Amino acid sequence: MNPRTLFSRLAGHRRLVTTVAASGLIAAAALAVVHTADPKFFSDDPIAREPETADASGAKPWDIDLFYDLSYNLFVTPKHVPSNTRAQNLNTIDEVPDSSWFTNRVGSRALTADEIVRGPVVNPAPVSSRWTITREKTSGDAPGFTAQDASGQTWFVSFDAPANPQGATGAVVVATKIYWALGYNQIEYFVTQMHPEAIGIAPDATRRRPSGERTPMTQADVREVLDRADRGPDGSYRAAAGRLLSGNVLGGFKYHGTRPDDPNDIVAHEHRRELRALRVFGAWTNLTDMKAGNTLDTLITEGGRGVVRHYLQDVGSTFGVGANGPHEWNEGHEYVYQGGPTRRRLFSFGLALSPWQTADYEKHDAVGRFEGDSFDPEKWKPRTPTVAYLEMRDDDAFWAARRVMAFSDELIRAVVKTGQYSDPKAEQYLADVLIKRRDKIGRTYLPKINPIVNPALDAAGQLTFGNAAVQAGFAKAPASYKATWFNFDNATGEATRVSQTDSALERMQAPAQLRTTPGSYVKVELSATSAEHKSWSQPVQVYFQRQANGWRLVGLERLP
Amino acid sequence: MRRTRTKGGRGLVCLAMTFLLLGWQASGRAQAQQAPATGDTRAALIARQQQEKSKQVKPYEPNKAEVWVKKLEQQFITGSMRWHPFFQSAYRGGGFTVGAGYAAPVSAYNTLDFRGSYTITGYKRAEVAFTAPRLFNRRGALTVIGGWREATQVGFFGIGTDNTSADDRTNYSFKQPYGSALLEVRPARNWFVLAGGAEYSQWDQNPGKGTTWPSVEEVYTPATLPGLGAKVTYMHLQGTAAIDWRTSPGYSRRGGLYAATFHDYKDADDTYGFQQVDYDVIQHLPLGRDAWVLSLHGRVETTYGKDGEVIPFFMLPSLGGGSDLRGYSSWRFRDRHSLLLQAEWRVLVNSFFDTALFYDAGKVAASRSDLDFDGLKSDYGIGIRLHGPAATPLRIEFAKSNEGLALVFSANSAF
Repeated sequence: MNPRTLFSRLAGHRRLVTTVAASGLIAAAALAVVHTADPKFFSDDPIAREPETADASGAKPWDIDLFYDLSYNLFVTPKHVPSNTRAQNLNTIDEVPDSSWFTNRVGSRALTADEIVRGPVVNPAPVSSRWTITREKTSGDAPGFTAQDASGQTWFVSFDAPANPQGATGAVVVATKIYWALGYNQIEYFVTQMHPEAIGIAPDATRRRPSGERTPMTQADVREVLDRADRGPDGSYRAAAGRLLSGNVLGGFKYHGTRPDDPNDIVAHEHRRELRALRVFGAWTNLTDMKAGNTLDTLITEGGRGVVRHYLQDVGSTFGVGANGPHEWNEGHEYVYQGGPTRRRLFSFGLALSPWQTADYEKHDAVGRFEGDSFDPEKWKPRTPTVAYLEMRDDDAFWAARRVMAFSDELIRAVVKTGQYSDPKAEQYLADVLIKRRDKIGRTYLPKINPIVNPALDAAGQLTFGNAAVQAGFAKAPASYKATWFNFDNATGEATRVSQTDSALERMQAPAQLRTTPGSYVKVELSATSAEHKSWSQPVQVYFQRQANGWRLVGLERLP
Repeated sequence: MRRTRTKGGRGLVCLAMTFLLLGWQASGRAQAQQAPATGDTRAALIARQQQEKSKQVKPYEPNKAEVWVKKLEQQFITGSMRWHPFFQSAYRGGGFTVGAGYAAPVSAYNTLDFRGSYTITGYKRAEVAFTAPRLFNRRGALTVIGGWREATQVGFFGIGTDNTSADDRTNYSFKQPYGSALLEVRPARNWFVLAGGAEYSQWDQNPGKGTTWPSVEEVYTPATLPGLGAKVTYMHLQGTAAIDWRTSPGYSRRGGLYAATFHDYKDADDTYGFQQVDYDVIQHLPLGRDAWVLSLHGRVETTYGKDGEVIPFFMLPSLGGGSDLRGYSSWRFRDRHSLLLQAEWRVLVNSFFDTALFYDAGKVAASRSDLDFDGLKSDYGIGIRLHGPAATPLRIEFAKSNEGLALVFSANSAF
């Protein structure tokens, strides 16, 4: 809102204005007396890790009701008006520090194919010579068990739908490694085998019957589950086994608000960039099922304190198939209920075609309904929206797109191979589609806002930077770059303009008038002039602090 | 006047904003002049916020809506105490129905369901149903029902198709105690279905209630209408062989049903016994990636008399009503044989909501050889359906025939 509009509106509220003015005076006086302010940059900025200093051992398990979560996200969440608030868990250089939610991996450092193939796995694979069912599956209607392998390790075991052999098991293993590389806490998943004759039932394993009573699990119960799974030619069942997490399970997390019982959870989840960015990562991998039930918090002990660790525990609803069969045709295109398409189909009697009716899916049962040609990252939809999904801004999407683009073709093909698809054509198709969707994400989000990245100022005053959109080949180099230089007072936040420099290249010399005493700060407003991308003229605010041997990047704000 | 007030307002606003700015600047100076109090590090600042929150931590408390959703979920989906709505009318044509049931578990999977319903026209049903859905290692389901029902004003328009008129309506009523058992088996747990059952019941046909139409005995006599005023006790045996690969009988967008059912109605007095064979064909053809479904239904009901016995008028195959010839009154056409053809163009509006255009055609005939495509009565219409993956709890349709417009409310799919 511009100042004139603001004044005009305030004029109509004389009493309010008087009250506000008086309050302002009182507040200012109070601040002047008792409040001491923070500088813009602290000595440890930019932080690399979000500290968790309070003891969360009092956090208790909660159960986010599936139907409530679904209903809320279908009928309440869509009415949420995005606040256009900058993500609030960023460090001062616009990055997400490591935390109990997120660990910087791909895009922050070079990730090798071996690393991504290993993913979250740190322990041995299940020993599948013997399985003992210990518990029925308690969430979701996909077939599965909790079982112990021959070595006594506990696993969550899930299977493939008969119509889509290797689909669900491959998807969960591949997606787990992708989301691990993207930075999320993941469960160790393996493709394994279950031979019916090697399946036993623990004496204390029970099953809840429709009557409500719990009775001992029987072989008939096991057969009932296996009847819904794909059985291989040798009579065995291919399964995905996810290792039981350590720590106390606290239940899922919501995509809005904070856990009231976790003192370290101080940033509303909808304002956590890594949760907003799931809109981009979800679009890339078609992670359509973003319900709270697919997340998990655990309470672990670190440094003698209780810490809540947050997982995306089930990313198996990716690509084009789920444990019960292929995704619905409209998945990824519409929410389960969405007013606009509903009205359009209702009043046109279905003759107004929806994009999912014309998309061209190559038939691979192991991959399902997943394609890249009609994919539009900005139009992609999960089954139900989340508040974090709606709160995503262009700078969040830019951040996420850079991480997606950090997956090289080689990395993508390596990670897809871990799905152990028997059909090489399916494997190749899945990788090809991921590459195609990756590029569409980059092409969409990298040029959308000022894409200047990696600014650096050397001791000699040479400013260098990159252009993420140009480097990726999704935009032409701009006609020129512009840098406006300021001496910056970290205590007051005052910026004093020094001069402006221009360059056609991604480097330029700092003006000689900049303060260079150790500890002093400069601010640079970096923008670009591009006929195709007007948004690039909005400057990225960059801050450097003078060190004894040069300048250190301490601040970057891509959007206010 | 307005301008003066605005100026005054602006002046006040300027003053207020000046105060605000002054206050802000004063605060800023205070900030500049004093050392940071939250520590020298970002980590310390965050730690302070976390320590502040640690003084206020509390367990999660679900809000009222979440509590209610959970209660409903436990009531109807996951819980063992199962009050449930029951919308099955005592008999077709009873009008808007309300009812409820209580399903009490008698073992891990088997239930006893005590249920009843009442319609705006006074139809009543009360019954107890025992259901064992997982016999023979999940291959079979048994349903045993005992109950009583009354229908107060069932329409009777005469026998035949073309020689009857909507204006010929008369009413009759009946009361019926019944007990039945039906066993359905899928030997290979797949699409092949065998079913068999027996029912013992007594039809006590009486004069119709209501004042709009005459009662049936005012127009017909026992000589002109077999079964008029009869009290018939039937042992009804039935057997079905079917191929059924629909995803669910209650809602399906693909698959089909091909079924034949044989009925034998034995009258304890050997007066009104007969046999009947029903042929049912349903085929759902998804089009445009399930965006549309062309659903087709054909049904033939044909009866066979027993020597020296007649089929009472109220047991004749019939057409008309919310699931077959939807533009006609319930029980509009009756005769010894019937033919029904239905087509629906269903449109997926969203995952819970379909709309449909439909066309129904059919006839009844005294002779099997007359079950041809000549002289079919037809209707067309439009409808909406709220559905889940396996059921259609609400279907509302407008159907138009040459006898007028009909509004259909149903808690089941049409076919």
